[in-house]
Amino acid sequence: MDSMYARFKNVVVGAVVGHEVGSNHDYSSKNQKLEPKFPYSRPHFLNLDNEEIHISADHRLRPIIHPSKPLPYHAGYAECINAGKSRWNEDQAVYRQGVLTKPEVQFSIPYTYYGIFDGHAGVGAALCAANQLHHIIHEKLVDSQDDIWADFNGKRSVICKQIDLLVIGALESAFKEMDQLIAEDRTKYLAPGGCTACVALFILGKLYVSNAGDSRAILCNNNNFQPLSMDFTPESERDRIRRLVENQPSLIGDEFTSKEFLQPLKTVDLGKTVMFRDAHMKGWAYKTVEQEDLKSPVIVGHGKRSRLMGTIGVTRGFGDHDLYAIYTKVQIKPLLSCRPEVQVYKINSTDKNEVLVMGTDGLWDVVCCSKAAEIVQKSITSFSEKERYICAATCLVGFARGSLVNDHNWQLKNGKQASCDDISVLVIPTFPYKLEYEELCKKYNQKLSDS
Amino acid sequence: MSYAYLFKYIIIGDTGVGKSCLLLQFTDKRFQPVHDLTIGVEFGARMITIDSKQIKLQIWDTAGQEAFRSITRSYYRGAAGALLVYDITRRETFNHLTTWLDDARQHSNSNMVIMLIGNKSDLESRREVKKEEGEAFAREHGLVFMETSAKTAANVEEAFINTAKEIYEKIQEGVFDINNEANGIKIGPQHSPTNPSLPGATGSSGSQGGGCC
Repeated sequence: MDSMYARFKNVVVGAVVGHEVGSNHDYSSKNQKLEPKFPYSRPHFLNLDNEEIHISADHRLRPIIHPSKPLPYHAGYAECINAGKSRWNEDQAVYRQGVLTKPEVQFSIPYTYYGIFDGHAGVGAALCAANQLHHIIHEKLVDSQDDIWADFNGKRSVICKQIDLLVIGALESAFKEMDQLIAEDRTKYLAPGGCTACVALFILGKLYVSNAGDSRAILCNNNNFQPLSMDFTPESERDRIRRLVENQPSLIGDEFTSKEFLQPLKTVDLGKTVMFRDAHMKGWAYKTVEQEDLKSPVIVGHGKRSRLMGTIGVTRGFGDHDLYAIYTKVQIKPLLSCRPEVQVYKINSTDKNEVLVMGTDGLWDVVCCSKAAEIVQKSITSFSEKERYICAATCLVGFARGSLVNDHNWQLKNGKQASCDDISVLVIPTFPYKLEYEELCKKYNQKLSDS
Repeated sequence: MSYAYLFKYIIIGDTGVGKSCLLLQFTDKRFQPVHDLTIGVEFGARMITIDSKQIKLQIWDTAGQEAFRSITRSYYRGAAGALLVYDITRRETFNHLTTWLDDARQHSNSNMVIMLIGNKSDLESRREVKKEEGEAFAREHGLVFMETSAKTAANVEEAFINTAKEIYEKIQEGVFDINNEANGIKIGPQHSPTNPSLPGATGSSGSQGGGCC
């Protein structure tokens, strides 16, 4: 197992260059003695014992683990560990059910929360998010529950905001607080690295997807799909980062240039005329190459290989408070963001087969959305309601993981490179939440007419 | 709990032959007439004693359904023993044995001990496969054979323990490289210099939160 681990360690592209704990994260020597806030574990709903946690971390076999007890409405989940890029599975997942209670009227609004977190450069941040973010979101929802209640009740006043804005606000402020908590905890606990966060909240007949990072949520229905999140990578966030750098050029230190060139420049290019654009520019123009231009561009590469300051491949999420650009003393955190993009979907489908699929980039690197929809559809038609979503999640992870060929290469069925990353997938039916909402309304109206 | 060796097993065979029920009978000593469909893989474990040595069996119970075949195939690697199960009341599960065996031989290490099991021996009146046929198949392919009943527990202990005995003998003969975990055999923690514990486990005992099995 360990030789496999060592072999893959150097060939797999991680979210952070220079990977493994501590390499470009700065910890003062006193921090080395700190204990983690949350010990390593797998998602609570898997109920794995220590031995099973070790089995799940076998890089040679990469077993696909799924819950042994059903999740709400038979929702599916499956995961498998990376092929050796890190000792432990740096993804985490969580689900919780909660209620917003209105004691005066003895009525409560239920909600269901799912989250996936893809850690990098350590397991700490993802564990903190998986264990704490739902508490923070719950607090934020409780803060707004009178307003949510007023809107549900149709007794909205002039100053009252509508439910969508209240829930979106709760999610946005919770994400900010989560990141701050990780920052504050640095003096008390060991929590290396950072993580992405993709959260789904089912409440009052709607689905709110709150995403920061490159995990992804899509709706699948009969071989069709609809994205409910966007990926935040150096490439997709070029504009946000360019604007930041434009306003505060000191953020990139002396090591980087805010200019973009069509090709990487070398010393021999000095004096040549090349096409460029600077942070303040939308379009492209020509300039003569000076010494200054030979610095590394703040964003390099494309797609999965795009990197911010040559170091990190994801630009939103939690943690990374001590992350420095590789080989430099330039802090990266100021260019990162914990702000989520929240999409709202009113569950209006009359189709029982509609599901929400959430996955970490280990899935999406090798499975496109339409392929995912196809795999889900196949499971839905082949298995009974009780099993179909777990089967769908298992098949999605199985497809992305592929199989080990010649003892060293994980391949998809078509022979292409399979995912060597940690893979986590949730498959959640949406229809029951529509029914749940209709039930709730009925119950409330009954209550009104009774009184 | 400490053990001298850990053997990894895999249970394979068509869907509905009773793989999960055999495991449940072996680990929990109970029978569940209606069992949920196994998806992918489930794990079980039990301690046994051979030659006055504690041996831990770590058992991977796989899905028999075709849909999971490509996933479960990857689990053969690194198993020291396999229980290949068919249902004596369903001829087609016996007919598929060759496919299972080819798959197992192709994807496992060559020393893996394979035990052929004809399950549901309690359903004598519905028998479709004669015991002699099972014996002949086992002889032809160099397997150990046994008929079991997960319901009455007949031969269930024996099936798991005899497989372990075979593996143990092979270790004594030096056939298995016990230092290579890829063979599905692990030397117990007290015998092994390295005992990787989970990160964040306080203390070096690595026994936080319960313990194994």
